[in-house]
Amino acid sequence: MLIVTRRAGEKIMLGDDIVVEVMEIAGNTVRIGIQAPRSLPVYREEIWDVVRDENRAAAQAAPASLPEPAKPAA
Amino acid sequence: MTHIESTRFGTIEVRPESVLEFPNGLIGLGGSRYVLVAPEADSVFLWLHSADDPSLALPVTRPWNFFPGYEVSLSDDETARLSFPADADPDVWVTVRAGEELESFSANLKAPILVCDGVAHQVINEAPDAPVRAALFSADVAHAVVA
Repeated sequence: MLIVTRRAGEKIMLGDDIVVEVMEIAGNTVRIGIQAPRSLPVYREEIWDVVRDENRAAAQAAPASLPEPAKPAA
Repeated sequence: MTHIESTRFGTIEVRPESVLEFPNGLIGLGGSRYVLVAPEADSVFLWLHSADDPSLALPVTRPWNFFPGYEVSLSDDETARLSFPADADPDVWVTVRAGEELESFSANLKAPILVCDGVAHQVINEAPDAPVRAALFSADVAHAVVA
């Protein structure tokens, strides 16, 4: 992992199109600004992590494990 | 007509126009082309099957089959990323985690899949009460379906 020391107001370039800026440091909280092409999704890691796990778990299903309820449960 | 050699279903015939393009793939899984496969014409659960990976498929359902009050709320950044037309009325699907028992089946209401004009995005739903694992069947209903 690349480790870079930055102060508030300083930025990091990821390639030519993505800018990560340390906006503010207060106590143990850092506010970060991200400028990226709008087609690039940006996630909080903990959200990305649970959704990835859920997608993987869903992909484990076998065809026989899917029921055909006569009527959807409403 | 093209086809997928699915490890689950054998050969699946696919009309090219029915392939959904996922510019950013599924979160954490990738893949850019999927098709919806319905076991029966009126199936509640369908399969979102990768057009490129014969072993990759996820069960999906329409959330309103189970959650009539379900809402999807997107951040402005997410809305901009989709670049759907302003008057778009996208199809909405949620992935399903199958379980040993019906009571353990759940749907991911936090990360629905929006489809518009053959382009699909898995998005983060900012609405409250949109858990990653929402039970699909109460114990009562589960027993009724099995019976």
